[in-house]
Amino acid sequence: MFAIDHLRKTFKAPGNVTVNAVDDISLEVETGKLITLLGPSGCGKTTTLRCLAGLERPESGRIVIAGETVCDVEKGVFVPPSDRGIGMVFQSYAIWPHMTVFENVAFPLRVARERKYSSAEIKDKVVRALDMVRMSGYENRPSTQLSGGQQQRLAFARGLVREPKILLLDEPLSNLDAKLREQMRVELKRLQKGLGVTTVYVTHDQSEALALSDEIAVFNAGRIIQRGSPQDIYRHPKSQFVADFIGSANFLKGMVKEAAGETALVETPHGVFRCNLGQTITVGQSVLVSARPEDFVLYDKPPGEGLNVLAGRIVHRVFLGEVVDYLIDIGEGEIRVRVKPEFDFRIGQKVHIGVAPQKCVALPS
Amino acid sequence: MSVAQVGLDRRPSGATGASILRPRNLALIACVVIAGWLVFVPLAALFYTAFTEDTGLGPGPYSLQNFVEAYSSWHVARLFGNSLIFATGTALVTLVMGGLVAWVVERTDAPLGGLFHALALLSFAIPGLLTAMAWILVLSPNIGWVNAMIKSTFGLSQAPFSIYSMGGMIWALSSHYFPLAYLTLGPALRVLDVRMEEAALVSGARYWQVVPKITLPLLRPAILSTVLLLFMLGMSSYEVPRLIGRPARIDVFTTDIQAATHSAPPEFGIASALSFTLLCICIVAVFFYRRSTRNAEAFATITGKGYMPTRIKLRTWRWPVALATFLLFAISLGLPLITLVWQSFYRNLAQPFVGSTGLASWENYQFILHYPIFVDAVKTSVLLAVMAATIIVLLTFVMAWIALRAVPRSGWALDSLAFTPVAIPHVIVGASVLFAYLMLPIPVYNTIWILLIAYVTMYLPYGMRFISSGLTQIHKELEESAEVSGARVRQVFLRILLPLLLPVLLAAWIYIFVLAVRELSASVFLVGPGTHVLGTISLTMWEEGGSYGAVSALGVIQIMPLIVIVAALRWLELRVQRRAAAAAAKAAAG
Repeated sequence: MFAIDHLRKTFKAPGNVTVNAVDDISLEVETGKLITLLGPSGCGKTTTLRCLAGLERPESGRIVIAGETVCDVEKGVFVPPSDRGIGMVFQSYAIWPHMTVFENVAFPLRVARERKYSSAEIKDKVVRALDMVRMSGYENRPSTQLSGGQQQRLAFARGLVREPKILLLDEPLSNLDAKLREQMRVELKRLQKGLGVTTVYVTHDQSEALALSDEIAVFNAGRIIQRGSPQDIYRHPKSQFVADFIGSANFLKGMVKEAAGETALVETPHGVFRCNLGQTITVGQSVLVSARPEDFVLYDKPPGEGLNVLAGRIVHRVFLGEVVDYLIDIGEGEIRVRVKPEFDFRIGQKVHIGVAPQKCVALPS
Repeated sequence: MSVAQVGLDRRPSGATGASILRPRNLALIACVVIAGWLVFVPLAALFYTAFTEDTGLGPGPYSLQNFVEAYSSWHVARLFGNSLIFATGTALVTLVMGGLVAWVVERTDAPLGGLFHALALLSFAIPGLLTAMAWILVLSPNIGWVNAMIKSTFGLSQAPFSIYSMGGMIWALSSHYFPLAYLTLGPALRVLDVRMEEAALVSGARYWQVVPKITLPLLRPAILSTVLLLFMLGMSSYEVPRLIGRPARIDVFTTDIQAATHSAPPEFGIASALSFTLLCICIVAVFFYRRSTRNAEAFATITGKGYMPTRIKLRTWRWPVALATFLLFAISLGLPLITLVWQSFYRNLAQPFVGSTGLASWENYQFILHYPIFVDAVKTSVLLAVMAATIIVLLTFVMAWIALRAVPRSGWALDSLAFTPVAIPHVIVGASVLFAYLMLPIPVYNTIWILLIAYVTMYLPYGMRFISSGLTQIHKELEESAEVSGARVRQVFLRILLPLLLPVLLAAWIYIFVLAVRELSASVFLVGPGTHVLGTISLTMWEEGGSYGAVSALGVIQIMPLIVIVAALRWLELRVQRRAAAAAAKAAAG
């Protein structure tokens, strides 16, 4: 549906420092998919989105949307945002305060150049778009009299009313409170699947990305460092950054003793660990063993065979309702463990920690 | 045109597609050229005139003779001293007066705050020339009615006050400008987060320790910028020195520069040389002013969420404090206004409330309204003000948009360029525009176009200030979402920006209109036989012996419509503020 090819964009930061906002990014997305650009702030995800929209001019690279080249720096092609046939929802929603709800949604049709819409057509399309986001009956409301959630829906209706080729979403849920955010997440997914519109979703919230995406592209320092399905990214991080940024992870330093196919034996200060391999790794290489807090099991006596085992003392306990977090001192460093509240351990108690080898990943350090 | 070049050199390196021929870059260049022409051509003429021999028939060969002549006598030292004392005195007196009002209105629960704010704005409607005239009618040792009243009441042989002194000048200007000090200090006091003071109290400080250690340091940028602003206004003030300072032989730079250009034969060279010092002082003041306002943000007085204004409870002192504040306004603003209005109904000198020779009548008004010179001046002034306001609003709308949105990286050049005239006293604008268009083969001398050029130059910064701050309140994404929705730049301007900015554009227009109608200091250099404006005919009438009654009536006729216009401006501003507050509340509620 769209393709980005070797995109580059730099910014001048104060003090004349050049920052590579987007550093050689290439990306292809199929029709109907929802792809999330995920990363910390300043990683280039929003700049990539804005280049796609035409709101930023890249310094090199090519962008093709639905078979049409909208940007090709070498050939001097640049289609302005108004002619790219896209829909976009901004972080601030950007609802025009001097227009009613109806006029906000009608605007893209009123300024359309590819064809002239009759007022009956406009009415019909606006009503349908508002219905889609469950905002029927609000047509004549001044747009300033809407709640945050309603403004959000309105922004979606405006983005979708032209039936865009792609829908660009710039952190659309970040201004909503936690409860509304989860509700909108479900609605958004249903809407997107129902319409089958190719969607690019920018966020720094990893749980949003995991919940919504067909595919996630993790950004860091202007580059895509891993792409894959949510499960794939969560289960098989290829670097410490991804393991740490998506969910949370414990890391143990070690050195590879043996490597065979997908698995390896890693020598750590706490004993030998059996792990999966995140990337090709050679014997003798120093690595980090990554394991997620919820994959650990706590025992009061040493567990049986087949697990990687650590021993330590509980130093901190946080009750979170559905789960309990423990911080365990293992001599050199600490391990975070998340277990069901049925298993109750006291602070100061000595425990054994077990984790299945397939839940451990060896990453290059 | 050095600024234009700097602006272009700063284009981001390697930004492909940022060809000079892109429409927004062409618009940037056009704006830089227009603003650069307005600002630098007169200044260049001023420099040229200063550093060349004054032949009487235009500039001759290069020489420093003008400087030698202007700066070799003790007179210039006195000029320097007078100007500094006058400007510093005004800055300090207005700071104290304005600071007190600001404290009462913003930090105490004294009543009548709204009234005081309205009165402060009202002073903006009164031309400085008329304030100076009115104070002469009040406090002159010979004709001042307050002096006469005190003399007869206490049996004094000499008048207790004399307006014709340095103190009198400072008072006349301060009474006119202290509302400005209130208006600049008020917002700083209003947004000062009480919790910062409370945090100090909770940490164990006493209230008398909190004020010098917390409150005043937090307000320092606001106080500093107010003092600098009023110092600058004092330095560039022309009306009070002309009407009060001259008869008292207290000369300052502005009056001397004007006198030099109007002497026979005119001494343009000396006027230019004198302008140098004044210009340098003002540039230094503006430099520090900008620095103090720029750092103001670091002192995060606004904290947005959870801000709670608490006011000092005056209890039994509520009304006494309010009455004292009212008295301040009554003396500084009411006294001259009432005097003017009272006098306007009598032909000869009249004493308000006491008794006057002859009967009150509309005679003076009838005379003024049928006075052909007055009618012509009204036409010229209104026409000029309308043209200047319209041109500036349109020009700065485009300039502010370019500076903030289209080319934000080189926009600062445009912004600084539009701000430059703030540092140039209007007297110097008048003189240098005169010199420039006497030299250039552009036939505007003795027409209203030369006045228009000067007005546009002087008020460019005000338009820019209004519109860029209006534009920063409009979230950039409101425009981007229109672009993404398929709107072209023209449609974004007409359908999004214009409706959203309309109140701000109107407010800027009215503000500039009022300033232009009140204008005198630059106009005295530029008016010709057929192009007199309200300010210059008032001055002529006062100095060339129009009756006190006729002059007062002339003043009242000017002030009344201006008050109505300023009220309209206030109403507009309130609308803009309410909308901004509603938007902020909405954003906070999320």
